[in-house]
Amino acid sequence: MDEEGDEIFTDERLYMPVPQQFGRTQKMGRGPYEKSGLVADTALHPGKKTHEHFEILFPNEEGLTNSKMDVKVQLWYLPYGNMDTEPFLWKEFTETVEVDLSGK
Amino acid sequence: MPTKKRSNVLSIAATVLAGFSLILFSGVLDPVQAAGIGKDGTIVAKKGKAKTLDELIAMYDSSSCIECHEDTHNEWANSAHARSVYGTGRTAATFKTAFTNGFMSWAYSGVTDPNDVQVEHLMGCAKCHLPQLADATDAVAKEFVGEIFALMDANSKGDTETFEEKKELLLKLNINCLVCHNRNAIVHKWTDGYPQAGVVFGSSDGAHDDPDFPIARTSPIMGEAIFCGQCHGLGPNLELDNPTQCATAYGSYLFSYIANGGDQNCQECHMRESGLGHDMQSYRSQVMADKAIDWHVDTRPMVWRDGNKISPKLMVDVSMTNKAGHGIPDG
Repeated sequence: MDEEGDEIFTDERLYMPVPQQFGRTQKMGRGPYEKSGLVADTALHPGKKTHEHFEILFPNEEGLTNSKMDVKVQLWYLPYGNMDTEPFLWKEFTETVEVDLSGK
Repeated sequence: MPTKKRSNVLSIAATVLAGFSLILFSGVLDPVQAAGIGKDGTIVAKKGKAKTLDELIAMYDSSSCIECHEDTHNEWANSAHARSVYGTGRTAATFKTAFTNGFMSWAYSGVTDPNDVQVEHLMGCAKCHLPQLADATDAVAKEFVGEIFALMDANSKGDTETFEEKKELLLKLNINCLVCHNRNAIVHKWTDGYPQAGVVFGSSDGAHDDPDFPIARTSPIMGEAIFCGQCHGLGPNLELDNPTQCATAYGSYLFSYIANGGDQNCQECHMRESGLGHDMQSYRSQVMADKAIDWHVDTRPMVWRDGNKISPKLMVDVSMTNKAGHGIPDG
């Protein structure tokens, strides 16, 4: 977020085994009664390090010489796959980062 | 050369005979009396299959354990095992959708109405959420479905009294002391024997101060991952006529955690190191959440130049290492 509280960048990643519907085709299954097999698996696996890199370029149309940005990174556990039903905030990182744009 | 030909003919004949034997025996033997010595000594064999939900609850009633094991009971009562059917309400709701979106919608399930349901239909869920349902008659399966529907109907109508009544009943159906310490205490029954009525399986042998369960016996697998793997499973439950797939943590444990050099088991992390004992928890427990993931975020600000135009730029690196013995998410 910028100094005025406007969100200027957001992104998300999903980590989950994607179950296959009835063990066939590319279609994802939803309820346990129709899930068999996997279409894909982007879960966090034991002992494995997962690394994400984001590069965020902020607009500077006004010719600012100094910029402050609030950074928030969250790791959510969504037992039902959405933020409406029992979402659980597992980890959170917040920091205000200042960039000095003065000088040549 | 003639000898070799004769050998081929003999082996084919043996295969056909074996197949014929299987056909002769299938469907004839009572499951309780099927292969294996001591199967007639299990709780269900002694008491007979439950004919009502109340009988099923009574068959695995663990309330007598509380007097001597109150702390352990209280730990367990806080765990999801204590509400394996009701859950947070979502588990009970999923039983209903398994019925309405599952069995009733499938052409060959034989279920078009709640009265058609049999125990076998429910075992896709009950295998883990209520394994003792296998020790009940089909009448209990119908009664169970009726209670689930009544709960959900009461919820949609805002009938709090009926909802609480049904919820209270469903909370009595759970993974309690006797499910783990008797019914499911032995995986390899032909090797270690069938779990006998009157025996509590744990970590020691000897007398046990309970008139209904006077014997304590060591379970060879209660401290092993395979014990938990009975439910926190491998993948699709292929032994079912219509496989389900819910938790796959044991598969991940075997083929990812162990395969990458892991050397602990479920009980070490979830019970002993966590200090939670029988209050087995996952991500909603702070101690388990902290144990499971190393999480680091690094930010690196910079001044980005595009010709004469300068802009602030931020590089964010997030790294996560799963320290659990299974994939996340899983269960």
